[in-house]
Amino acid sequence: MERFSGHTRISARARLLAIAVTAAGMAAALPTSAADEVNQERLLNVEKEPGNWLHHHQNYSAHRFSTLKEINRDNVKNLKVAWTLHLGGIEGGGIWSHGGLEGTPIAENGFLYVTDGWGSVYKIDAHGGRGVLVWKMDPKTDRDWAGAVACCGVDNRGVALWGDLVISHTLDGRLIATNKETGQVAWQRTVADPDKGETITGAPLIVKNMAITGVAGAEYGIRGWIAATDLTTQKEVWRTYTIPGKGEPGIETWKDSNNAAAAGGGSTWVTGTYDPATDTIIWGIGNPGPDWDSAYRPGDNLYTDSSLALDATTGKIKWHFQHTPNDPYDYDSVAENVLVDIPGPGGPQKLALEADRNGFAYAIDRTNGKFVWGLPFVKKVTWTKGLDPESGKPIEYDPNKAVQTYIASVTPSRTNMETDICPGNMGGKNWPPTAYNPDLKLWYIPVIESCNRIKVEVMTPDKLKPREFWTGGGPSQPFRITGSVTAIDVTTGKIAQKMETPFPNLGGMLATPDLVFTGQPSGEVMALDAKSLQKLWEFNTGGGVNAPPMTFTVDGKQYVAILVGLGGAWDKWFIDSTPELKKIQPGSMLYVFAL
Amino acid sequence: MFFSRFPAAPSMLLVSVVALNFSIGTTAFGQSAQAPASDPTNAGKAVFSKANCVGCHKWHGNGGGGYGGDALSLRKTELTRDQIIEIVGCGRPGTGMPFFMRGAYDEVKCHGMNRQDAGAQMPPEGGTFLRPKDIEAVADYVIAHIKGAGEPTYAECAAFFSSTSRVCDVYKTPAQKPDDATASTGKGQ
Repeated sequence: MERFSGHTRISARARLLAIAVTAAGMAAALPTSAADEVNQERLLNVEKEPGNWLHHHQNYSAHRFSTLKEINRDNVKNLKVAWTLHLGGIEGGGIWSHGGLEGTPIAENGFLYVTDGWGSVYKIDAHGGRGVLVWKMDPKTDRDWAGAVACCGVDNRGVALWGDLVISHTLDGRLIATNKETGQVAWQRTVADPDKGETITGAPLIVKNMAITGVAGAEYGIRGWIAATDLTTQKEVWRTYTIPGKGEPGIETWKDSNNAAAAGGGSTWVTGTYDPATDTIIWGIGNPGPDWDSAYRPGDNLYTDSSLALDATTGKIKWHFQHTPNDPYDYDSVAENVLVDIPGPGGPQKLALEADRNGFAYAIDRTNGKFVWGLPFVKKVTWTKGLDPESGKPIEYDPNKAVQTYIASVTPSRTNMETDICPGNMGGKNWPPTAYNPDLKLWYIPVIESCNRIKVEVMTPDKLKPREFWTGGGPSQPFRITGSVTAIDVTTGKIAQKMETPFPNLGGMLATPDLVFTGQPSGEVMALDAKSLQKLWEFNTGGGVNAPPMTFTVDGKQYVAILVGLGGAWDKWFIDSTPELKKIQPGSMLYVFAL
Repeated sequence: MFFSRFPAAPSMLLVSVVALNFSIGTTAFGQSAQAPASDPTNAGKAVFSKANCVGCHKWHGNGGGGYGGDALSLRKTELTRDQIIEIVGCGRPGTGMPFFMRGAYDEVKCHGMNRQDAGAQMPPEGGTFLRPKDIEAVADYVIAHIKGAGEPTYAECAAFFSSTSRVCDVYKTPAQKPDDATASTGKGQ
């Protein structure tokens, strides 16, 4: 590759350098051209600019599907590294010895926008077949403050674009708007408070001049929320709590006398989706707290472990679908809801798909939150015999019980203080995003095939302290954990293919017309056949893949980009289940591939 | 809006410059300027950070449950100095407490065991090895500042961390809060 392209690269660089030198004096003063301004029209119609990747999840429906096909099943074997760029942000802070990379790059008109774990934003010029750092915005995150209450790593999953601004979050709770041309901070606003155990790891979702922010901290006794900030006035438009307050609908699902709801969890740290047809935001809600002492919080604990639909304009809750009522397993439902239309006998079925930590994939009717179908996508589920085909609830769910026991012999409880569960508490499927191919109607899930051991700690109100873990126990890893890519045929609700991998999938998926791309925490980036999931290409990055791939074009050529740097929860809390990964070094690198 | 012009930036810079000079001038480890230079356990505090004891036991030593299981409270511990030295060096078999002594279970038996004897109970290896003097120093630090202490206080936290972080604000008493502008970042929500 080096030998082949060295000459053209140098001449391209020289040419660009010449242009840059002549333009340098005036470039800074030039206003952003209208074509570069991101507005609602562009965000709604991303299919009109297939060479760009404007949304965190590629489109408002979270398809992570690109129509680009210069790289395809016939030639993907020739895919090679085009260029790489070292990033920063691996420093430790709080309880973390180092950061990692979990972000999805955003691409617009040949420029990439990526983040590192501490929330620094990098603008990279990808023209001319190489990557050049244009600017870096370092938000000077308060590392000890935020890192001490980040349950699961020094993480930041990326930016969004709006107008001439790059919109990003920081672990210490800020929403930051950076000028796209200069890299200067235009304004910032505190949205979350680490003093309450709140942190932010997700990318913002931009809807109609608002940045939608989710929060992490269900392991630290937060009361979760989703908040909308007006990007013109910089003021909060609405904030909807995911745990009802006194007198609000749903509070009857918190039946304890401990005021558990006030610290009930329900975090929202994965970017949600938006259905413009009904002006509805659909967002996944995390686990109740304390995670494993479910008897502390009898009742179904709404809206934890739910898919929640909100009116985008007001933040009002429209409907919910709860996956694991009174969850005793830490089975978050923070995952993205993928919006899919499928032809049906009575017209198109408007579905929201979610692959849950609890091991089940769900399709619900996104107009009303009603269950359509569900199935286990992992090889082993021990906590329930399955879903009720009508309600979608676990078969053992008993609405008259305050504390659900499901299959009691394996369920963590005050009478079953140490027990093994499958899936383990990381899932199933965690934050790494799925992808959906609308032509093949296949939905690709990055799977953690797991079991782990849970020890319960009986909680009392005096144990609830600001900025301290509020988990009611903890996991350990006596079992090897592997992974898979599992494809579901959305027309039938059945598994179409499963490609097993030696390690859990901690990165997520990208779909193109006849390929899917993904990675492994042992370092490999790979391309699979979209139908058979047969591996067609692989490259070992030498680091741990902990982020999803994406694709874009610049100068008319298609590239695949992925951030590489193992961090997150895995290498601190779950590494014993994958002992070979102990040798993976911390890293922080952007890889870009091309034919 | 609250942060629109980085009001804190110039003063933070000043603080860190001052802290840097201070630490170069007065401490051997160039790490922490907060504890008085005369405190003989400063070296142990540096080890407590460097060896990532804080990763599980936290800065305050109270440990606690969570995703990583349950790190024991060093505040409530009844271990003696010698026992702490042994456990830091050899780890705790069958738990997540790592060993930090080079050659433990290989050249030196630990708890009467070598690696084969320990088998599945073999504790993990620490992220860094500590020399015997470092292990003694961290034990002295734990005895002097953590063992037997009650709930963590603002003064303890401020002594542990750089003052540029807001990590300690949560421990302030209501009387301490009004003098510090950074304590009010959450307001207006």
